[in-house]
Amino acid sequence: MSYCVNCGVELDATAKNCPLCNTPVLNPKEIKSDSAIPPFATEKAPVEEIQRADFGWLVSMVCLATAVTCGLLNWLAFKQNLWSLAVIGACVVLWVMLVPAVIYHKWLPYFYILMDGAALVVYLYLIARMLDSYRWFMGLGVPLVVCTVAVVELFTLAIRRFPKGILARGLYFFVSLGTLCVSYEVAIDLFRKVPVRLGWSAVVLTICAIVSIAIITTLSRRRLRNEVRRRLHF
Amino acid sequence: MRRLREKEWFKTERGYFMPDHREWYKLDLSAIVYPTLQRRDFSSVYRLSVLLKEEVQPQVLQQALDLTLPRFPTYKAAIRKGLFWRYLEPNNRPGPFVRPDVKNPCQPMSFKDNNRYLVRVYYYHNRISLEAHHSLGDGTGGMCVLQTLTAEYLRLLGHTEIQNGGFVLDVNEKPDPGELEDAYVKYANSKICPPRPGEKTYRVRGTKEPFYTLNIIDGITSTSEVLRVAKGYGASITEYFNAVLLYALLKKQEEDRRLRLRPVRIAMPVNLRRFFPSKTLRNFITMIYPGVDPRLGEYTFEEIVSQVHHYMRYYVNDKFLRADITTNAKTQSHPLIRIVPLFIKDFVVRSFYAKVQDHNSSAGLTNMGALQVNESMRPYIERFDICMGQPFSSRTNCAIISFQDVLTINFASSIVEADVERYFFRKLVKDGIHVKIESNRELPAVER
Repeated sequence: MSYCVNCGVELDATAKNCPLCNTPVLNPKEIKSDSAIPPFATEKAPVEEIQRADFGWLVSMVCLATAVTCGLLNWLAFKQNLWSLAVIGACVVLWVMLVPAVIYHKWLPYFYILMDGAALVVYLYLIARMLDSYRWFMGLGVPLVVCTVAVVELFTLAIRRFPKGILARGLYFFVSLGTLCVSYEVAIDLFRKVPVRLGWSAVVLTICAIVSIAIITTLSRRRLRNEVRRRLHF
Repeated sequence: MRRLREKEWFKTERGYFMPDHREWYKLDLSAIVYPTLQRRDFSSVYRLSVLLKEEVQPQVLQQALDLTLPRFPTYKAAIRKGLFWRYLEPNNRPGPFVRPDVKNPCQPMSFKDNNRYLVRVYYYHNRISLEAHHSLGDGTGGMCVLQTLTAEYLRLLGHTEIQNGGFVLDVNEKPDPGELEDAYVKYANSKICPPRPGEKTYRVRGTKEPFYTLNIIDGITSTSEVLRVAKGYGASITEYFNAVLLYALLKKQEEDRRLRLRPVRIAMPVNLRRFFPSKTLRNFITMIYPGVDPRLGEYTFEEIVSQVHHYMRYYVNDKFLRADITTNAKTQSHPLIRIVPLFIKDFVVRSFYAKVQDHNSSAGLTNMGALQVNESMRPYIERFDICMGQPFSSRTNCAIISFQDVLTINFASSIVEADVERYFFRKLVKDGIHVKIESNRELPAVER
C-alpha cells in the first residue's frame, strides 16, 4: 500500500506514478509484484469504423449511369460534337474524388491526391479531345495540375509530419499559397511564350512572406506563441 | 373473447396494460440533442460498472445479456433518421455481444456499427461494464439494465435466491408502458418558461489527448467519512462535492493567470423522478448550474459550500424544475421548429450547443447517490462505478456513485493535464477523507 507524498492519496498497487501529480512511487520496503491486477484493462481497442460501402456503391452507380446514358445520347441522338466527353470526364473526376476515399479510408492521403490529380488530367484531356485542341492541354492544363498536386502533396506532408499547431498550419498554408501562385504565373508565362516575369504573383508572394515571417517570429517566442494559442484556440 | 383478452392484456402492479407492440419510439426531449452532437470522435456515451466478488464468466454473461435485453425494448433498439426527427426502432439483429474490457472506454459509438446496437457490455476480471448511448436513456435506466443483467447472471451461476425488486426487473414480465414513456411531455406544463443561462464561464484549457484517449481517475472513499465531513460544513454529499469541484476550478483559473476572470459553473443533471412520479427508463433529467463568480471577490471554501447549498435549496424543487423542462419542451413542440428538416435542425442545435450550451459550464458533475440494491444481491457485489463519458470539449466530467460504505468519484477527461482532479482530491485529503486512486492514464499527468 503506497501513498503519494505530494497529494496524500492512497495509490493502487500497480501504480508507478501518482496519476494526479506524476510523483513516482518509490517504496523500498514493498516489493512490486507483477501478479497484481491493474484496475483498468490494458488493451486499447480500435475505434469502430463506419461502413460507407453502400454510399460508395450509390455514387459509383449514379456516375456510371450518367456517363453511359450521356455517351449513348451523344452516339445515337445528339451527334453534333463529342459533348458527352465533358460529362463522362466529370463523372470520372467525381468518382475518383469520392469513392476511394469513402471505401478505402486507410490509404495514405498522398495517394488520394495523386489520384485526384490524375483524374483532373484525364478530364482536361477529354475536353481537349472534344475541342480537338491539344496545345493548351499540354502547355497549360497539365503543368497547372502538376504544380497544384505537388504543392498540395507538400502541404499534406508538412501537416502530417511536422508540428500541427494552428500557427504552424497557418505557416504551411501561406508558404504553399505563395509557391502555388508563383508556379502558376511561371507556367502561364511559359505557355504564352513571353519572358518569365513575376507580376501579380509577386504581390501574393510578398503578402504570404510577411505573414509567414510574422508566424515564424511568433513561433520562436514562447510567451507570444502561448498568448496567440490561448486567444485563437477553438 | 376472454382468451383473446388474456393474450392481449397483461398485469402489472399498476393494473392491466396493453403490451407494447410499437414498431418505433419517438426520441424523448433530451435524447433528441445527443445524436446531433455525434462526431467522428465524440458520442454521448456513459458507462456503469459493477464489481462482483468473483471473476466474471463471459459465456454466462452473454447468456444473461440475451435473456435481459428483450425486457428493455428501448435498449434493444437502433436509432434511425426520419425527415424531421430521429427515432428508435426495435433491433432484432444478433447481439450485442459481451467483449473483454478496453483501456479506452466510452468510445464513440457509430449508429451503424455493432449491428446498430447502442449498448456495449464489457467484462474485466470481476467487473461488468455497461456502456449505453444517452439517447436510449439516462443513468437510472442504464442502472436498471445493469442490475437486471447482474441479477440474471448470478441466477445463471446458481444463485437462485436473487429476487426481483428495486432496479432488478423481472425479465419474464412484459415491459410496463410507463417504462417506455416520454415523461417530459407529461410534466412540461408550467405557465412560464424561464430563460436559459447564457453567460460564458471559465473553460479549462489543456493539451488534447490523441484520438481516441479518455483519461480516467477514480477516487474511492468511504461514504460515512464523506457524510461526516459534508455535515461538518452543513451540506449534503452532493453539495459538498459540488463545492469541492468549484473550489478546484477556481484554483485552476487562479493558476492560469487570466487577464479576465470568468464565473465558474458546474452542469449538474437532476433526476426528475425524485420530484415527478415516473417509471420511465428513458431520459428524465434536467440540468442545473450551481456556481460562483470570482469577479465578485475571493471565496473561502465555506462560502462556496454555502453558495451551492442555498442555490440547490432554491432551485431544486418541483416548481423550478417543471418550468425548466417546459422551456425545453416548448422549443421542441413549436410548429415552425417541427417542420424544419432534420439536417437543418442538426446544424442549428450543434452550433447552439457548441457556442452557447457548452460554454455555460466549466465542468460536469453527476451524483447517482446511494444505490439501492436488492438485499439478496448485495453479498455478491463489491462496489459500483460510474463514468460520465467523454466531455464534448476539453474539460473534465465528474461522476459519483455510492454503494453501502464505498463511494466512487470518477473523473473522465480528454486532456493531458490533471490539475482539476489534483486540486479536487487534495482538498478531500485536507478535509480528512481517505482517498484511494485508480487510473488508466498511460502517460503520467503533468504537474505545472
